[in-house]
Amino acid sequence: MAKEAQQYQVNHEKIEELLSLKPDLILASAYSNRALIQLMQKLGHQVETFPLPSDIEGIQANITRMAQLLGQEKRGQQLVEQMSQRIDQVIKQQPAVHPKALFYQPNHYTSGRNTLQDTALRVAGWRNLAAELGIEGYNPIDIEDLLMADPEQLFTSPYAPNSNSLAEQQLSHPALQRVTAGRKMIEIDYKYWICGGPMIADAIEQLHRSLPQ
Amino acid sequence: MKQPLALTQKQLISGLSLILAALFLLSLFVGSNPIPLFQAARDTLLDTPSVIALIFSEVRLPRALIALFTGATLGLCGAAMQGLLRNPLASPGLIGSASGAALGAVCMLYFGMSSITTMVLPAGGIIGALAATMLVYLLAGRNAGTLTLILAGVAINALALALISLLLNLAPSPYAVREIVLWMMGSIANHSMDDFQIMLPGVLLGWFLLIGTGRSLDALTLGEETANSMGFSLPRLRWRIFIAIALAVGSAISITGSIGFIGLVVPHLLRPLVDHQPSRLLLASAIGGAILLLAADICVRLFPAGTDIKVGVLTSLVGAPFFLYLIIKSRRFVL
Repeated sequence: MAKEAQQYQVNHEKIEELLSLKPDLILASAYSNRALIQLMQKLGHQVETFPLPSDIEGIQANITRMAQLLGQEKRGQQLVEQMSQRIDQVIKQQPAVHPKALFYQPNHYTSGRNTLQDTALRVAGWRNLAAELGIEGYNPIDIEDLLMADPEQLFTSPYAPNSNSLAEQQLSHPALQRVTAGRKMIEIDYKYWICGGPMIADAIEQLHRSLPQ
Repeated sequence: MKQPLALTQKQLISGLSLILAALFLLSLFVGSNPIPLFQAARDTLLDTPSVIALIFSEVRLPRALIALFTGATLGLCGAAMQGLLRNPLASPGLIGSASGAALGAVCMLYFGMSSITTMVLPAGGIIGALAATMLVYLLAGRNAGTLTLILAGVAINALALALISLLLNLAPSPYAVREIVLWMMGSIANHSMDDFQIMLPGVLLGWFLLIGTGRSLDALTLGEETANSMGFSLPRLRWRIFIAIALAVGSAISITGSIGFIGLVVPHLLRPLVDHQPSRLLLASAIGGAILLLAADICVRLFPAGTDIKVGVLTSLVGAPFFLYLIIKSRRFVL
């Protein structure tokens, strides 16, 4: 998807730049500039704001809505069905007992309730300890709390591979590998989380394959 | 002269050691989860250690050890520096050794060097500390007054801090910029036993070099010429102390970031208790520095979870007013 996107022009959220493109439809996200959106609407442009989904239903709703806006309902429906099929397949194969896991990112960040990672972990057949500890959204977790929760597997999503910093060094803390009985942290690409899309099925399948046999 | 507290060296050291031992134990007890410490310590001996044993041996023990060794290093080096330069304001923080060490460590950590071997980190710290210390010493001149030395220190500190900011802004890691505070204020949170092992060789080597400088420092209180005539070679002493400080401070700071004011405050607090004798001050300051940093680190942990206050903020909050007090006091002497 990133490769296909490269052939399109980048805009920098500047009003003059947008006007000169004479768009028929403007897509915005929850983090877009509110004032700019209002101004574009005032000038008679259609602006559609998409929420950042944190669950499968949200992703599917976004796809359906986008398909409608583009007049491609059929393709949208297809995409949603394919995605549901793959996810249902994983749900059917969930183990009887869900092992304990959590996401651990540089600077001790983890994904609690209402995050894509939480949804993906649970669909794939894991328990998300961060959510069970009462963490909401993306927030840091104390390393002692993490160890006390006794995870069986840790996942991380490298944001900038091949760079080093104190934040990233936290991931190689020896206690993290010892608590999971020597199991190495598993890397799940960051691209699945930056914004929810049909590729979430890839992440869910990868998480499912990581389940202990 | 009035003698407020007539303590023998033995009494003083054993008293300070007791406080240190108590704080070290307390530091192991304080954490985000209450854990049965003795059971945890016993469990570390098992083949498959329990979770509480992991928290004890991989989280709390390294933190307490790093606080102890870093605090002791800063206290000891502060005392040695004040003795050598016969300047009440000399300390690793003010003379630039600490920020030089942080700069050296930053160079190594963020630009891929530390993937070669973890020991390049303290090596960078040591080189940075030595370069900054020598630069300040050369800038201020051999017989610099208090003010000149501090001014040279301010200049080198500012330069080092600017370079740290610049390097962290240029570093490839997206997390680097946010870590400027960490290097400038210092933190001993979230370190592992590996980090402790990385800093240990340099710190011990530095301490070892400083043992036995006490008698020369005592002689130096009588003036350079007298010390010379008593057979103490000043240039050799100077090199020995500068290298020792670079080794110890450079290694410690490369792990913790620059923690301020301990090296300045501790020798001053303890000097009246050791009869103003540099030789006695060295060991006392080492223990005092460890006490101060352990206490500050325990306080930092008592703040509500998630606040993540750096330990250097606390030591500076205590140290900066004390620094002002020293300036006012020294002004009274001049006037």
